[in-house]
Amino acid sequence: MQHPRERRRGMSRREFLRRSAGSAVALPSLAAVLAACDRPGETASREQINLLVPRPDSPVTLPMNGEPIPTDTPIEQGADLQIFNWVDYVWKAIVRRFVEENAEHDISFSAVTTFNNMEEAVAKLQAGEIEADVFFPTIDVVPKLAVAGLLQPLNHDLIPNLEQNVWDVYQNPYYDQEWRYSVPYTVYTTGISYRRDVISDDEIYGMANPWEILWDPSHRDRVGVYDSYRDTIQTALLKAGITDISTGDPEDLGVARDELLSMLDVVNPRATINGSYKRLPQGEFDLHLSWSGDIAAGWGYVPTYTRDYYENLGYWFPEDRRGPVDNDCIAIPANAPHPRLAHEFINFMLDFENAMDNFSWVGYQPPLNDAQPALLTETEGLYSQVSGWAEPAEYVLPWMEAAVVRQSDFDVGYRQAPLSPEADERWNDVWQQFKAGVTTGG
Amino acid sequence: MSRPAGSAAPARVPKLRRGRDAQTNGVHYPRWYWQSFAAPAIAWLLVFFLLPLYTVLSIAFGTVDPILRTPVPVWQPWWWTTAHVAEGLDKTFGLFQTVYLRTFGYVLVASAICLVLGYAVAYYVARYAGRRKTLLLVLLISPLWISYLMRMLAWINLLQPDGYVNRVLTFLQIVPEPVGWLEGRGITVILGLVYGYIPYMILPVYAFLDRIDVNLLESGRDLGANPLSTFLRVTLPLSRPAILAGLVIVSLPMFGDYFTNTLLSGSPSTTMIGNLIDDSIYTAGQQPEAAVLILILMLLLLIPIGYYLRSTARTAAAR
Repeated sequence: MQHPRERRRGMSRREFLRRSAGSAVALPSLAAVLAACDRPGETASREQINLLVPRPDSPVTLPMNGEPIPTDTPIEQGADLQIFNWVDYVWKAIVRRFVEENAEHDISFSAVTTFNNMEEAVAKLQAGEIEADVFFPTIDVVPKLAVAGLLQPLNHDLIPNLEQNVWDVYQNPYYDQEWRYSVPYTVYTTGISYRRDVISDDEIYGMANPWEILWDPSHRDRVGVYDSYRDTIQTALLKAGITDISTGDPEDLGVARDELLSMLDVVNPRATINGSYKRLPQGEFDLHLSWSGDIAAGWGYVPTYTRDYYENLGYWFPEDRRGPVDNDCIAIPANAPHPRLAHEFINFMLDFENAMDNFSWVGYQPPLNDAQPALLTETEGLYSQVSGWAEPAEYVLPWMEAAVVRQSDFDVGYRQAPLSPEADERWNDVWQQFKAGVTTGG
Repeated sequence: MSRPAGSAAPARVPKLRRGRDAQTNGVHYPRWYWQSFAAPAIAWLLVFFLLPLYTVLSIAFGTVDPILRTPVPVWQPWWWTTAHVAEGLDKTFGLFQTVYLRTFGYVLVASAICLVLGYAVAYYVARYAGRRKTLLLVLLISPLWISYLMRMLAWINLLQPDGYVNRVLTFLQIVPEPVGWLEGRGITVILGLVYGYIPYMILPVYAFLDRIDVNLLESGRDLGANPLSTFLRVTLPLSRPAILAGLVIVSLPMFGDYFTNTLLSGSPSTTMIGNLIDDSIYTAGQQPEAAVLILILMLLLLIPIGYYLRSTARTAAAR
């Protein structure tokens, strides 16, 4: 072994050649190392981004993330069904029924893992913190999760109820053509819930533009909107007569911003998530922006469970049905521990009886062929039947017939399509201005 | 402090020191022995303060996943981008200015109410409660056993149109009809903050007042001061460090509070900085901005903390 100092002394020609060759080999690998040190963060191609902003007039077919599970996959034995869902968005009695029906497979169910908003849910799925069999995404999240490889494609043979029972409009939805990753769970319209002891049906339905009632100073301090930027900003757009509720046009959004700031001035609205289904029935609001399913479930939150009290709850939606109409979904995460059981559960939830019983508790209607509008306002739901403390309530109270969603609503109504990142940024700017509560005075 | 409890040293050795003394007496404490006592605290700071703080920095200077719009923390400072910081600063001095001012206003008023009420209560307990002192202290601390959230939810019931607060007010004919406390009012948010944090004011002030030497007060009286001027010229100046400590303890968490406002108001007209941060955290693609707002708030809060530290250091030096 040479002394280190000796080694530094000069270099033979052979050694020089050898070392040069070495560098020639080393240089590309150095480049690779440098590339690995490149700016962190993924990049997405234009095609990928385009998949994330489907529109009813430009539907997307999401790329297949592997193959669906084979049809002959046996149901997992002894599985504990993992449900990842919004709070109070599935009736546990129905889940328990599913467990009983699958007793032969020794399955169990302990609790629903819940999230408070989609961002939280997506972050948890992305981080792999949650291993859920079924997940309940909104339509804007389905393409994102599919493109990011966080959902698994569905095996249609294992979900025969979709084709059999579900509305035609959902056989091939625009946000997930061929329903590769999602099935519809519920449908809803977005209108206004109101206290009929304060505002009569004739008053609100008689208005030339009933959206304006949310700006009526005579209801100051008694008005609520959703703490959800898409729903509240779209209300301002609709009030101003702009019907493209997925617009990215800065001018449209400027109009919406001005409308919302004037709303702050005039009525001091509160932004809530439980305002319509819970706090309006309890008398805290006269008016609230409302998803039809929220107010349909409102009778379960009144202070006195009598028909007389139920009559205080009302729902307005445009009579020509030109208003926001949408749906939520069920999907199976890519890392689902029991994918076969998940398919079974989805098929179970699309069964007419199960879906209707779940509807009676959740308030959100399933898009099923047999769920005829007349039936919904005339039949008492299971939850009402088993609620010994409450006077009977139909799926949808008869005087709130406007809260029933019809398949034809999807022909004339407005869809809340996902936004491009740029448009989303503009929507968020408007929302922040509203939430900052900076009024122009008055 | 230097004498370890339960040491095995023979009784004739008066003091144990590190190094040769200890070694010759058969007790050896290596150099790291006493330092090691700080290890849990250092580990705590590393895991629960520095690491999270660095994560917030990495998100504030990081990027966003282009597909899922979730935050992508960038751990290497040489790849940090300042775009979000610029935007956060821009909003702080623009759109959000009113929110900052509103937050400062709420915290100022709420802290002042905490101080006046808390001082009076602490003074009474320390000086006049006598045998009931312990009982009163337990009663004062007991709200802390219940979670803050539960206490705020209780207030929702109390403040409802037909809640007890309105019933009492209308019964006593102080107001003609129930007040809509929950209809998005700043005063409700301030009272909620006061209620939530006042125990943290009472305790330090009490601890301090309780230790004031009664002889000082008596000598004040002997020198001709009446009770009021004894209080103003002896008790109050002596309790200044406690007042400062109490103010710092109650006002710092108030600055970041968001669910008092969410639960008791919900109106954009009462939005606080904490609400803006909370909103940004749960908005796709906005998390870096939330991180920036958190950092800005931290920097702003360093001012009162710095003042407090300097002032207590001075008081300590004056003694």
